[in-house]
Amino acid sequence: MSISEYFNLLWTDYTLRTITLGTAVLGAICGMLGSFAVLRKQSLLGDAISHAALPGIAIAFLITGSKDTYILLLGALICGLIGTFWIRGITTKTHLKSDTALGLVLSLFFGFGMLLLTYIQKQPNANQAGLDKYLFGQAATLVESDVFIMIGVTGVCLIILLLFWKEFKIMLFDMDYTKTLGFNVRFIDSLITFFIVLAIVLGLQTVGVVLMSAMLLAPAAAARQWTNSLGTMVILAAIIGALAGIFGTAISATQNNLSTGPVIVLVAAVFVLFSFIFSPGRGILFREIRFRQNRNDLQLKKTLQFMYDIAKTHQNISHPHAIRILNNFQGFSKNSLRKMEEKEWITLKGQEWSLTNIGFEEAKNLYNQQLKDE
Amino acid sequence: MSNPQLEIQLIAAIVAVACAIPGVFLVLRKMALISDAISHSILPGIVIGFFITQDLNSPLLILFAALTGVITVILVEVIQKTGLVKEDTAIGLVFPTMFSIGVILIAKNANDIHLDVDAVLLGELAFAPFDRMLISGMDMGPKSLWVMGGVLLVSITLLILFFKELKVSTFDVGLSSALGFSPVVLHYGLMSVSSITIVGAFDAVGAILVVALMIAPAATAYLLTNDLKRMLVLSVVFGVFSAIAGYWLAHLLDASISGSMTTVLGIVFLLVYLLAPKKGLISVLYRQKQQRTEVSLITFLLHLNNHSEKSERHINHLQEHINWQKVRSKSVVDLALKNNMITIDNNIVSLTKKGKEFTGKALDYILTNRDDKIENIKDDFFLFRG
Repeated sequence: MSISEYFNLLWTDYTLRTITLGTAVLGAICGMLGSFAVLRKQSLLGDAISHAALPGIAIAFLITGSKDTYILLLGALICGLIGTFWIRGITTKTHLKSDTALGLVLSLFFGFGMLLLTYIQKQPNANQAGLDKYLFGQAATLVESDVFIMIGVTGVCLIILLLFWKEFKIMLFDMDYTKTLGFNVRFIDSLITFFIVLAIVLGLQTVGVVLMSAMLLAPAAAARQWTNSLGTMVILAAIIGALAGIFGTAISATQNNLSTGPVIVLVAAVFVLFSFIFSPGRGILFREIRFRQNRNDLQLKKTLQFMYDIAKTHQNISHPHAIRILNNFQGFSKNSLRKMEEKEWITLKGQEWSLTNIGFEEAKNLYNQQLKDE
Repeated sequence: MSNPQLEIQLIAAIVAVACAIPGVFLVLRKMALISDAISHSILPGIVIGFFITQDLNSPLLILFAALTGVITVILVEVIQKTGLVKEDTAIGLVFPTMFSIGVILIAKNANDIHLDVDAVLLGELAFAPFDRMLISGMDMGPKSLWVMGGVLLVSITLLILFFKELKVSTFDVGLSSALGFSPVVLHYGLMSVSSITIVGAFDAVGAILVVALMIAPAATAYLLTNDLKRMLVLSVVFGVFSAIAGYWLAHLLDASISGSMTTVLGIVFLLVYLLAPKKGLISVLYRQKQQRTEVSLITFLLHLNNHSEKSERHINHLQEHINWQKVRSKSVVDLALKNNMITIDNNIVSLTKKGKEFTGKALDYILTNRDDKIENIKDDFFLFRG
C-alpha cells in the first residue's frame, strides 16, 4: 500500500479512519498540554507519569478482573496522580532533587507494575492476555468509542484552557506574582497537572508507556521554536502533534511490521529537527547566517575605522592611499573592499583607495557612538 | 537452595552493587535521569551490535551499546547548548527517538534476530544461569556473572583510583578545575562507566529497572547520611538487600525477579522516606510544626512586650489581634506558660522576667540581624520545645 492509496482508503476504511483520527486527536491534546509541561520545565514529568501508571492498570485488573479499557485507564489515572503527588512530596519535603524524584517514581512504580503484571500472567484462570499492550501501545486496538472519549477529553480540556487561560499563563511565567494577586496557585497547578496526567493516560493505549513522553514534548518543543507567544505556541503544538499522528499512522500502515507508536515519535522528532534548524527566529541555520552577517559587518566597520584614522590626518579626506598600507591590519580582502565600494564608503582606483564623504561621515559617527558608549 | 538459585542471587547482588556505585554520583550530580535516557537509547546500539556479533553477551556488543549511551549524553548536551530547549526537554526528546529507532530496527529485521523488545526492556534474571560461559569445554559459571563481575571490578577500581577527584568535581566544579582535575574528563568518565554498567545489566534486569537499581539505593542512602563514603556503603547495602529479598519475593509470588527487586527497593525507599531520623517526611513535618509554634511564640511575646495597657493584654483580645485560630493560640500560650515566659492573672497576660529577657534578645536579633545573638537562645530559654 502506498501513501496515496492510504489517503484514498482513509475516507472509506473504518479501521484506518478510526486509528488516524485517534492518533491525530491524541497528538493535538498532547501538543496542547505538552506546551505547558515544557514551559514549566516539567518535560520529564510525562515520562515519569506514563511509567508510574503501569501498576494502576495491573491493580485495576486485579480488583475488577475486567479488561475494559476505561476501567484500566481509570486505574492508570489514579496511579499516575499518586505518582505526581509523590514526586512533589519528595521534592518539597526532602533535599532530593526533582530529577532523582522523577527517576525514583518512574522506575519504582514501573518495577512494581512489572511485578504485578508477571504475577497476573502466572494466575491460572485469568484472561490476562493483552495487558502488556500498554507497554508499547497498539493503535490498532483503537475503536470508535475510544476516539469519541479522546475527543470529549480534548473538548473539556479546551474549555478549561480557555476558562483559566490567564491564570495558566501568569502562573507559567511568574509564580510569585500569581500568588500576590491572590490566585489559588495550588488549585491552578493541580488542574493543569491533572490534565497533563489525563492526556498521558489517554495516550498509553496508543503509543504506550515508553514513548509517551516524546508525544508530549516533541510537538511543544517544535512549536516553541516558531513563536514567543503562548497562544500561538499551544495552537501550533496541537497542529504539529496532529500532523505527527496522521503521518506516523500513514507510514506505519503502509509498511509491514511497523508499530505505530515509534513511527509517530520519529515523525515528531523530524518536526523538531526541522524546527531546530529552519525556524527563522531561533533556528540554528538562520542564527548562523545572522552571526556571519554580523561578523562581516563588524569587519567592514573595523576596516573603515582604520581607513578613517589614516584619512583624517590629511586635509583632503579623499586623498588616495595604497591598498598595501592596509596590509598590517587584518580583516580586509578584495571582497570586503568591493563591498565597501558598493556601500559608497570608498572608491577604488587601481592599487589605491580613497575615502568618500559618505564613508567619512559613517566612520565619524561610528567613532562617536563608541565614545558615547564609554 | 539449589545451585541456579544461588547463582541468580549472586548475579542480582553483583548487578545491584555495580549499579549503586555510579548511581550515587549521578544522584549527587543531579543527573539521575541521564541513567533513564541511557538505558533507553542503548537499544539501537544493542541491535546494531547484535547484527555484527550475533551474541547478546559479547564484550564487543557491550562496548558498542555503551558507546551509544555516551553518544546519547553528548547529543543531549549538544541540543542543550543550542539554547533552543531546556536540559530536561533535550533528554526527553533524545531517548524516545533513539528507542523508536531501536524498536523499528528490531521490527524490520524480526526474522533475523532473537531479540525481543520486551526482553530488552524488562530483562529476565531467571534465565541468566542457563547461558553458560564455556572455556575449552569447561563450565565456568553463567556468562552474565562474568560480564557483570568484570564491570563491577572496573568500576570499583576506577572508584578507588579517582575517589578524591570524583568527590571534588561532584561537589565543587570550580575548585576541581582550579586544582587541575578536568571536570569534563571526569564527567565523561562517569558517563562511560554508567553506560557500560547499564548495558551490562540490561540483560539481567532490563532497561527500566536498571534505572531503579541506580537511583533508588543512592536516594535512600542520601536521606540517611551526608557523608559520601557512608552513602556509597549504604547504597551498596540497600542494593544487595533488595536483590536477595527481591529474589525470594519473586520466588514466593512466582513473578518477575527484577520487578520484585524493584518493589523491595521501593518499599525500602518508602520506609526511609517516611521514617528517616532527620530528613524523613514525619520528622520534617514534626519539625515544621515545632518551628511554626516557636515563631508564633516569638510574635506573641513581642506583641506582649509592646503593650503595657491591660486591654491589649487580655487573653481574648490577643486572639483577635494576632488573628490566630483558637487551637494554635492555645498551644502557643501553653508553650509560653510551660517555659515560664508569661503569667496569666485574671485573664490578663503579662511577661515574666525571663520572658522579658528573651524578648529583648529576640528584638536585638531582629534589629541587628546577627546570628550570634540568637545562636544559643533556644538552649538558654527553652525547657520545652514547641
